[in-house]
Amino acid sequence: MTSQTTHTDPVILEMRSITKEFPGVKALSEVSLRVKAGEVHAICGENGAGKSTLMKVLSGVYPFGSYDGDIVYQGQTQQFRDIRASEQAGIVIIHQELALIPELSIMENIFLGNEPTKRGVIDWAEARIRSTELLARVGLRENPDTPIKEIGVGKQQLVEIAKALNKSVKILILDEPTAALNESDSQHLLDLILGLKGRGITSIIISHKLNEIEQIADSITIIRDGKSIETLNVKADGVDEDRIIKGMVGRTLESRFPDHTPKIGEVFFEVKDWTVAHPQIQDRLVCKGSNFFVRRGEIVGFAGLMGAGRTELARSVFGRSYGHFVSGQVYIHGKETALKNVPQAIDAGLGYVTEDRKSLGLNLLDDIKTTTVSANLQKISKRSVVDTDKEFAVAEQYRKSLRTKAPSVQEGVAKLSGGNQQKVVLAKWMFTDPELLILDEPTRGIDVGAKYEIYGIIQQLANQGKGVIVISSELPELLGLSDRIYTIFEGAITGVLDKAEASQESLMKLMTSARKAA
Amino acid sequence: MNALKKLFGGDTRQFGMIFALVALILLFQWLTGGITLTPGNVINLFNGNSYILILAIGMVLVIIAGHIDLSVGSVAAFVGMVVAIAMRDWNLPWFLAILLGLGLGALIGAWHGWWTAYVGIPAFIVTLAGMLIFRGAQQFVGQSNSIPVPREFQFIGAGYLPEIGPNTGFNNLTLLLGLAAAAFVVIGEVRRRRSAKALGAEVPETWVMVLKLVLICGAILYATYLFATGRPGTSFPIPGLILAVLVLVYGFISSKTVVGRHVYAVGGNRHAAELSGVKSKKINFLVMMNMSIIAGLAGMIFVARSTSAGPSDGTGWELDAIAAVFIGGAAVTGGVGTVIGSIVGGLVMAVLNNGLQLLSVGADWQSMIKGLVLLVAVAIDVYNKSQGRASIIGLMMKNFNRSSNGPGTPLQPDEVTSTKATISREA
Amino acid sequence: MRMFGKAGKAAAVAAIAALALTGCGRAETPSTGGSSEGTGGFAQDSAIGVALPKKTSENWVLAEKLFNDGLTSAGFKPTVQFANNGVAEQQNQISAMISKGAKVIIVGALDGSQLGTQLQQAKDAGATIIAYDRLLLNTENVDYYVAYDNFKVGELQGQALLDGMKAKKPAGPYNIELLAGSPDDANAKVFFDGAMKVLKPKIDDGTLKVLSGQTTFEKAVTQDWKAENAQRRMDTLLTGSYGTESLDGVLSPNDTLARAVITSVKAAGKPLPVITGQDSEEESVKSILAGEQYSTINKDTRKLVEHAIVMVKDLQAGKTPEINDDKSYDNGVKTVPAFLLPPVIVTAENVKTAYTDDPVLGPLTK
Repeated sequence: MTSQTTHTDPVILEMRSITKEFPGVKALSEVSLRVKAGEVHAICGENGAGKSTLMKVLSGVYPFGSYDGDIVYQGQTQQFRDIRASEQAGIVIIHQELALIPELSIMENIFLGNEPTKRGVIDWAEARIRSTELLARVGLRENPDTPIKEIGVGKQQLVEIAKALNKSVKILILDEPTAALNESDSQHLLDLILGLKGRGITSIIISHKLNEIEQIADSITIIRDGKSIETLNVKADGVDEDRIIKGMVGRTLESRFPDHTPKIGEVFFEVKDWTVAHPQIQDRLVCKGSNFFVRRGEIVGFAGLMGAGRTELARSVFGRSYGHFVSGQVYIHGKETALKNVPQAIDAGLGYVTEDRKSLGLNLLDDIKTTTVSANLQKISKRSVVDTDKEFAVAEQYRKSLRTKAPSVQEGVAKLSGGNQQKVVLAKWMFTDPELLILDEPTRGIDVGAKYEIYGIIQQLANQGKGVIVISSELPELLGLSDRIYTIFEGAITGVLDKAEASQESLMKLMTSARKAA
Repeated sequence: MNALKKLFGGDTRQFGMIFALVALILLFQWLTGGITLTPGNVINLFNGNSYILILAIGMVLVIIAGHIDLSVGSVAAFVGMVVAIAMRDWNLPWFLAILLGLGLGALIGAWHGWWTAYVGIPAFIVTLAGMLIFRGAQQFVGQSNSIPVPREFQFIGAGYLPEIGPNTGFNNLTLLLGLAAAAFVVIGEVRRRRSAKALGAEVPETWVMVLKLVLICGAILYATYLFATGRPGTSFPIPGLILAVLVLVYGFISSKTVVGRHVYAVGGNRHAAELSGVKSKKINFLVMMNMSIIAGLAGMIFVARSTSAGPSDGTGWELDAIAAVFIGGAAVTGGVGTVIGSIVGGLVMAVLNNGLQLLSVGADWQSMIKGLVLLVAVAIDVYNKSQGRASIIGLMMKNFNRSSNGPGTPLQPDEVTSTKATISREA
Repeated sequence: MRMFGKAGKAAAVAAIAALALTGCGRAETPSTGGSSEGTGGFAQDSAIGVALPKKTSENWVLAEKLFNDGLTSAGFKPTVQFANNGVAEQQNQISAMISKGAKVIIVGALDGSQLGTQLQQAKDAGATIIAYDRLLLNTENVDYYVAYDNFKVGELQGQALLDGMKAKKPAGPYNIELLAGSPDDANAKVFFDGAMKVLKPKIDDGTLKVLSGQTTFEKAVTQDWKAENAQRRMDTLLTGSYGTESLDGVLSPNDTLARAVITSVKAAGKPLPVITGQDSEEESVKSILAGEQYSTINKDTRKLVEHAIVMVKDLQAGKTPEINDDKSYDNGVKTVPAFLLPPVIVTAENVKTAYTDDPVLGPLTK
């Protein structure tokens, strides 16, 4: 750890009593934030706590006047009208989704919107000299003419920072900077942030990776339910991860999973020799000869790092909805069954809840009732005519049984919170009465309370004798929920552990090596 | 405000358009000194615009599915021309000629649908090509001449409900039709209310329903009166009848059938629809095919009304139909729109056209005014969505009610961050 | 929406059936209003409708003004409208004129065969219909036709083309190309046929050669009378057939197209051929004075509009308008009584004297 808090740093930024309302929702309520010059300040909180909203207020995405409270920056109250105004003041935000243009070169991206000109014409010679300098500062050894699409996400992140440095940044805001990076890229980025700190640049970092925060942050402000809870001084308060979690959820996490006694039956679903190629690049295999099975009443976990091929496996089994099928068989109740398209898979009793709720799981224009019945319209139709009374009744029944928080089933799904959206998606698949339900990151973007309820629903499905596959990046979730866990590494199943023998350590080993388990 | 909302089933957007239409009609009624709402003019209004309104029905489905069809004018002209030639040169009887036209439309639609759905070329490109191809084909088969159609065929474009029954001073069939429509609306509403109550859904107060029914039935009966009291020999026009049937059929299909639901699903989020088991290619194919069948029908109605098929038939129709659909509340991105909304949108354009012609406003000014109306209608819609309000009426009432639950309100931005704290901790 | 009950349906069917059995609904009252014989007359301040085609040439713009001024000063209430957006718009305009109670509707048709339904309506509403400049086809509901003699126009154009080329180069053979008007304008074919009556024998005996081989009306048409379409076709012809050969003459049906031909030929860097025209547009008269376009036709719009208004006045007074041709113009259903005005050919020789009465062109040619 390299942080130094010996001399008293002056406060560079203070946000006082920031309140931001959206129609019907108070996203931020009297939030305060004090950032000292030259420190790395972390903001922690659960999804939906208001971290990103606070940063959007700071960077002028939500302009002055659309919120209450003051932003005092370098001793002066600021009224940023747009993101340009905050950038001119030296506050630069790097968003989770990188704002780079794939077809343009590194150099063109660095100077986008800020091109060095000579009499109105872009001075590319100047741009080249400066971009070489900037790339050296962020430690990126790449030709400035390389198109962005040809470099990895980690390097793209560095280009974003170079772009910020070019704007003579004083406060750099990073929103989940390492979310999509691998271990070594993450470490490089963290080192770079510390390096910038050495040059007097203040950083505000939003991250879910508490170990990283512990590693680089000087202070931590915790936000919960749109309110600032506390600010911790890492060194002085001896902060560790548990301390942060306690602040984030407001209690210690003891029982995160409902009680559940599994009633496991016979094997009814089995996949053999499952091999699938990438949809565009046909000689790249995303699933390599995978074998797995699911028993009645069993919750089966799939563990693997991002990009290991978990989603690819699930979606290719679900009616070949991903990739290019190469070989493999599916046996349902011992009989080989062809699942060549999604309707066939649904007819065969499969359901798939996607990890990407917004772009693959929901039609955000629909309301709750239309969504609930959308995967099984036949059940409420007679001669292809939908019985809207039945539709209403079905949706209402699920709304009550899953305790979806919405005024009525006519509410648009776009207006629901992540947890309630997920309940609607679950309702949709429960209504198809599947034998096997595949849940891909079922609690992503969902807060703790709703997670608990969704775990309950999953266990209830298993109790009804259905098979459930849960794919998750959160190992504690898998460990708490699953009866058996498969591990995947680079498209191949590397092992399977029973609940009793699985631990984070044993899973992690299998998730990061090609070693075939016994 | 709340009462108004209840009055129109919460769909204030649609109410806004109907409100604008009524306002427009009253405005022109005043400006033209009462000519607008005369039997003759109302009949003209329907006759002269039925084919655009019919096209709008097909177009709204295409647009809901997330596509566009630029070829409808050319396809309509081509079908009209072929049908005219078939009747003149091959002596095909008129009913067979209509079947031929619909079949030809289906064939052309299958062509468009195949390229769009199965080859994956954007409908904009496919139908732009179709627009050129079928315009050329039309002029080729017609030798750039006008081809007259027989009198029996003209009935579908220029005919009226016949005079039957006792001498009541009204056209009896029109009268019956109007009464049936009013009864249909009343019975439908009462039933819907009853079943909503049975399901435990919220229903508006009785007076709201009664007022709503009085307003709607009043409008229907007034229109009936106008149509039934025109010059003898005229009554409710046949193209209007065809239109009414299509509105009922397609309104039903789009809102109450599995196929209709799938069209909305594909337009709203194709991937989500596919993962829910919707065969999106089939839906896209059907939607494009249907459009061309409807275009063929519109072309035949126009030819029947024009008494002959001409080389420049159908020019610019695609744009009129598309404008009607967007004024009627459809979204450029797909997934949103209604058949009835598009008809209202088309009627706004039609009333505007008719009113301006009655006022002897030149074609140049008409074009400018229509362009501005399109822009303003869609702009109000976009503005309201961004403000979380739903409609023109919502805009007008905003000072009276700071309602916070208008549809389309963006909630607090959702943070979709994958929480991988544990993994990184272990690694 | 819900289908209404079976009982309701049955009742409706029964009611219709009952009505059908009892016979006829409303009695057809005989149509009243001005008869086509023009014996009745109508009020001095009646509405008069004038439906004109697309605003594509100066003559139509002038006609709009002349109709408005002439009819207004005669005490009528004129409605003059252009159908820039196609036949459908013209149909609706005529319908609107009927709604406004027009006593006479003067129609310069966009497509003379596509207005049958509206003309029937107009007739039923008691209006008199005058076809202006373009004949209305396949309908019995047209009372008069007022126009310049268009076949004669074609003949004059054909003859002018021959004369012009002979003056430049005394002996043939001559290379020519043919342009016709828009196929949806009934006159276009008449112009072309008139010209071909003169040119065809010369093509057959080899005096005239059409190198592109495009000698039929269908191949020579210019959609919508648009200059850009003519220019595009001419560009293609020049590159296709006149790489080395010289082009001696172009039959152009009107001035707008003639100027498009001149633009095209100049752009190709070729010497200007003899080019005919029609309409006496200001730019073309200047062009004749400058020695570029060879000829135009003087079909003074003033005289034509003037005569149309005379017809309206006669009808108003209950008189039968004067006609001078009652056998040439068969529209497919009836022979339309016509009043034809004689066209005059204008070349560099008589350009100075041809427009002496014209307030715009007169001073120009002094």
